Amino acid sequence: MRRLTRGEGVTGWLFTIPYLAFTIVFFVIPFIWGLMLIFSEWNLISPVREFVGLGNLIEALQSRRVHAAVITPFKFMAVFLPAVLIMSLGIAVLINSFKKGQGLLAVAFFLPYLASGVTMSLVIKGVVSYTSPVNKFISKFIGYVPDWLGTPALAILVIGLMIAWRFSGYYALIFLSGLQSIPNELYEAAQIDGAGRIKSFFSITLPQLYPALYSVMILAVGLMFGVFTEPYMLTGGGPNLATHTWYLEIYYQAFHTLRAGYASSIALLNAIAVFIVVGIVRRIMQSWGRAHGWED
Amino acid sequence: MERQSFNWARFWRRVDKYGTTTLRWVLALGGIVVAAGPYIYMILQSLAPWREVNRRIFPTELTTRSYQWLLQGSATAVARPWLRGFGNSLLVTVLSTLSMLLVAMLAGYALSRLRFRGKEAIYKFILFQMFYPAIILLVPQFLIVRRLGLYNTYAGMIIPRAVNIWAIFMYVSFFRSINQAMLEAARIDGASEMQILFRVVLPLSGSITAVIGLFLFMERWVELLWDLIVIQEYDMMTLNVMIATMSGPYASYPGPLYAASVILTVPIILVFLIFSRHFTQGFKFILK
Repeated sequence: MRRLTRGEGVTGWLFTIPYLAFTIVFFVIPFIWGLMLIFSEWNLISPVREFVGLGNLIEALQSRRVHAAVITPFKFMAVFLPAVLIMSLGIAVLINSFKKGQGLLAVAFFLPYLASGVTMSLVIKGVVSYTSPVNKFISKFIGYVPDWLGTPALAILVIGLMIAWRFSGYYALIFLSGLQSIPNELYEAAQIDGAGRIKSFFSITLPQLYPALYSVMILAVGLMFGVFTEPYMLTGGGPNLATHTWYLEIYYQAFHTLRAGYASSIALLNAIAVFIVVGIVRRIMQSWGRAHGWED
Repeated sequence: MERQSFNWARFWRRVDKYGTTTLRWVLALGGIVVAAGPYIYMILQSLAPWREVNRRIFPTELTTRSYQWLLQGSATAVARPWLRGFGNSLLVTVLSTLSMLLVAMLAGYALSRLRFRGKEAIYKFILFQMFYPAIILLVPQFLIVRRLGLYNTYAGMIIPRAVNIWAIFMYVSFFRSINQAMLEAARIDGASEMQILFRVVLPLSGSITAVIGLFLFMERWVELLWDLIVIQEYDMMTLNVMIATMSGPYASYPGPLYAASVILTVPIILVFLIFSRHFTQGFKFILK
């Protein structure tokens, strides 16, 4: 027995060595280096690294570009959250209402998640281009062709809906497994009380979905702070920084203006912003859950 | 004899029943059209004559000109190694995914099924890594890759994406749910831990491996930011990055860009459909 344990110890370490080696090189060292970079000014090439203390952070907090990046996630949320919640809840309820073929439907609705943001941006660029059939159709009614990506509110709408399209099937699966754990008796009781379908959706289904809603909300809100591909491909952060995101700014500062330290400071601010906002969303969701009889 | 009055209640129940059945089907089909629409649009546009690209949804005739142009280029635009880009995507994604799976299986097995000193600490550190914001690591990871001489190499794309923390976490929780008695039996038969992992545990992990592998493959296949900053030469770019960097210069060639997009999209859909029978079952575990 003792020999077995000793052998296990060696095997245990052997099996974890690949992970440990990777973690030291690509997590622990970057972790420390990243913290050092925040306080220094360095252009990635020069041998000189200047210690600037909190200089980078102060500069970032005063930058117009960073201010835009702070606000953009909330603008995306205004479109993305309602759109993705309605779509994914709808898909989940729909799939759940079928007796057969649920797996097949789940697969079909999951297809958008496979899309590359790059290729979908190309498609959207085509769909909103000046000569596109969609614009031809719309201009018949309003008399002109809207400049989808050149108008701040429309650009936010387009990008928000694109991301909602991509994630709706994924979140629907989270809701679906929540729906399937709701006991049927609850609905039967409501039916006896004379509640219609819509009423029982709001009084039973939604509160019972609390765990699923909680995870989806946190995933969805967090996602809005990491948007990169769509604005990179479609707007470059424009018009006038209206769709400028945290990741665009970090990418731009690190690899175009080559300010490694400044970019790292912005990355730190991004992490802090996510931490605060996700914390608030968590609180809101928990108090909503408590109001419906869930415990944390 | 009184004529039996029409049973209104039953009538409405039937309307309700067949009505909702029809409505469900209409909604399901409509939803699938929305889900698959952009893919279908992409395919149609890639096969459309150039004068009709982005001008009509359904082209009046089909042509492979866009695909031919991708391979041959033309006098006015430099040909890019699109096919090579596809090969690069395949190489990088397959090697990354296999490595992520293998490392995660080994670590996941050790952390869930073996007793050794420091195990708890490692597991706690993995949880810390999962929640640590990856964006802070982006610039220093790039600097390390450059310091190691991996800038603008395949290894620069593969090695920093050779281990996935989420996959380790998933395997730890899955292996914990496997019946311990079976492993003990194999151990008494004198099997080594490596044999137990590959002959006893892995055959039980088909669904979960399929789904974890699927997610890793998908995410690696469409990665943009990292591959964009690590690779400079067209010969080494993944197809995804090549499309992204050429979408500006090729803006006047939307047809070929659609064709390249189709080439990028087909494999991922195929991989997904092949593994889709494991999908629902495995996905449920991932959600737990």
